[in-house]
Amino acid sequence: MSRDDRVGVAFLGLHPDRARTEVERHGSASSVLRLAARARLDGVAPHRVVPPADRVKAMERAGCRPVLLGDPDYPGALAELGDPPDILFVRGSLPLSPGVAVVGTRRCTGYGRRLATAFGRSIAGAGWPLISGLARGIDGAAHRGTLEASGIGVAVLGSGSDVLYPPDHRELHDGLLESGGAVITEYPPGTRPDGWRFPPRNRIISGLSAAVVVVEAAVTGGALVTAMRAGEQGRALFAVPGDVDREASVGCNMLIRDGAIPVLGAEDLIEALSLVLGPPRRMSPAAMAASISGVDALVLAATGTPVTADRVAEIVGLPVSEVLGAIARLELAGHVVTGDGVVAAADQR
Amino acid sequence: MFASVTSSALVGVDPRPVRVEAHVSGTAGGRDRFNIVGLPDASIREARQRVQSAILATGHHFPDRRITVNLAPADLPKVGSAYDLPIALGVLAAIGGLPPYATKVVALGELALDGAVRAVRGGLAAGIVAARRGMPCIVGVDGGAEAALSGADVRGVTSLAHAMAVCRGEDRGLPVPEAAPPIETCLDLSAVRGQATARRALEVAAAGGHHLLLVGPPGAGKTMLARAMPGVLPDLSPTEALEVAQAHSAAGRPPAVGRRPPFRSPHHSATPAAILGGGSGVPVPGELTLADRGVLFLDELAEFPSHLLDTLRQPIEEGRVHIARKGVSVAFPCRVQLVAATNPCPCGYLGDGRTPCRCSRPAVDRYRTRLSGPLLDRFDLRVTVPRVEAAELLGAGGEPSAAIRSRVLAARRVQQDRGVLNRSLSRDQLDGLPWDVDAGRMLALAMDRQALTGRGWDRVRKTARTIADLEGAEQAGGNHVAEALALRSVL
Repeated sequence: MSRDDRVGVAFLGLHPDRARTEVERHGSASSVLRLAARARLDGVAPHRVVPPADRVKAMERAGCRPVLLGDPDYPGALAELGDPPDILFVRGSLPLSPGVAVVGTRRCTGYGRRLATAFGRSIAGAGWPLISGLARGIDGAAHRGTLEASGIGVAVLGSGSDVLYPPDHRELHDGLLESGGAVITEYPPGTRPDGWRFPPRNRIISGLSAAVVVVEAAVTGGALVTAMRAGEQGRALFAVPGDVDREASVGCNMLIRDGAIPVLGAEDLIEALSLVLGPPRRMSPAAMAASISGVDALVLAATGTPVTADRVAEIVGLPVSEVLGAIARLELAGHVVTGDGVVAAADQR
Repeated sequence: MFASVTSSALVGVDPRPVRVEAHVSGTAGGRDRFNIVGLPDASIREARQRVQSAILATGHHFPDRRITVNLAPADLPKVGSAYDLPIALGVLAAIGGLPPYATKVVALGELALDGAVRAVRGGLAAGIVAARRGMPCIVGVDGGAEAALSGADVRGVTSLAHAMAVCRGEDRGLPVPEAAPPIETCLDLSAVRGQATARRALEVAAAGGHHLLLVGPPGAGKTMLARAMPGVLPDLSPTEALEVAQAHSAAGRPPAVGRRPPFRSPHHSATPAAILGGGSGVPVPGELTLADRGVLFLDELAEFPSHLLDTLRQPIEEGRVHIARKGVSVAFPCRVQLVAATNPCPCGYLGDGRTPCRCSRPAVDRYRTRLSGPLLDRFDLRVTVPRVEAAELLGAGGEPSAAIRSRVLAARRVQQDRGVLNRSLSRDQLDGLPWDVDAGRMLALAMDRQALTGRGWDRVRKTARTIADLEGAEQAGGNHVAEALALRSVL
């Protein structure tokens, strides 16, 4: 079964399950392509067979490269699934180790958005790749947190590499690529973000992860699909509890009832995750202070509860000019947040 | 039969010499026997009656001939009764009541019908004109103190006859009283407890001439801190002090003679004319100009009408405020350092540890929107002024203003060598200054994290440069940029 033909099948743009069954039924990718070209494949018009040269051009234009099942850089965790994608169109570099998925509803509340960002930061701070879907709401907030802590993030799209949805996440998208992460999809360039393409996409999100964290989810929606797939794939499942009468939290509360691990905060999450993923490779929030040097460490230690800069200067006994500089550095690194005249450690929010 | 005497007028706050020329000719016929030309206003035209009576009161005969007085330059509008004295002296010289050599004086004063000389405003301008020309300055004795600030040879006189004696050199004139020392409104920082961040912001603001915004709950000490600002600014040079006095004199206020920079705090209900300058006829300087070379303090910034704040923007940037009135357009100086204070929210207690804030989030957002926009952007430094803890109130006061001022002076000297105050550094100039790698990295990071807009980028660099200057550092580094970022983090 030639590589080219497998890419060719992917370019038909079928539902992943359909593509797999067709290949199985007809024995090889080349026979599927041949049949399709002769209009012998149900619902597939012959013009949808893209000539090899055009495929190469399309991938060049989209800036992506194909990584096939069996390739050395194909993620191992994904290969173990019962229904692994035969091909991934990859921009950027795939993480070598399994990551943590942070997913949730697009219609999130401020509570969910805040937590997702905090989790994104902490997970990045622990050195684990963060996997999500680049969607509005929770996904975007989690990715943003990753970028703020200069972590590695992977976005799995439900469209082609060159079709950005939602379009206003351009900055996040580019940020992920610039900071050493990846944007991947099993759909060929030019694929529109149709609704039915997202549930299969979710199995990749959970598949790339050792643990899945659902921040907010309604009763219906993609986040619960991801949670379900995570369960099937044997991934650790975490959910953030919320008000029982809040629509955006009903799904999460149900998951907890059914056995998901409740998350009590960013630090709690990191601790629980380190049981699954091993000790944090970069730094846990607690160990962070140790790795930050000099004044910054002193200042960070003084921001356990929200305090004014004046008070910090008093506590650490240093001139306020030095303390102010340290606060700005810590804020830029995502360790503290400032607002309304006070500064607090980032996981206090 | 012609004679002339020098006097003065104001263009903006600049004193200009005015030549008062008198010509007496022929015999009088009809009603127009005494005319004043050269853009006089109504009060100057009335001088005819006062001058005639005052001359009669000296015992001189008022000539029954045609008299023309011209105020040159003729296109400069002149106002007020201050030209009575020079007109009378000119007329007397033209009819031979004074010898020609006796008119080499600068005179200013209003005449009473009995010949007494009354002091008028603008004495300082007359003094400056006299000092420039090396002539004696003859003014009403009460107005002498103001004129003497210029360093001119001031002769106080009580009456027209007295003035004539002084002109002829028969009398030295009365000694002028010393100007009263200004009331010290400036507060020493040693009286301020706690407030480490705000004190630091004050020091940095003073060192680089940066505009400063103080945000905090009522009673936190924002006004007190603002009042301390002149105390940490460098003393005015004698020339600068004279300019400041001129602005006050032009506004009809007793001019300050101190070396402390002025501090003006207009109320938020003040009219645009009161703040920017204006008024009918010849424009009068407003608060903005009275604060020239000093501090303009806007307390309760959010209470000022937004259109007024908008009109402040350009003059503050440019250092001049242009006022156009019928026939005249003047530019008043306003090289002010802006200090403003505001509550963080309508009730004032947002972020305060003790009193809970009672404002809804939309109300807070509305309040901030009123502040936001281009004016807010002009503040290089925006810091929070928290309420002081009881323990701090009992503790020792902070460093005295004089110690901070000496550091500010050193930083200003570095800027003088560069030729421009850090506040006014252009983008190109900033680019040309030495920045170390860390500084660039920190700025890029802040830009990335959206903590910084394009305009903010330059503002932070200016502040960082000032912080480096205070430290005596040649190159601005990451630490300086970090502190500059922290000092503009509010709102």
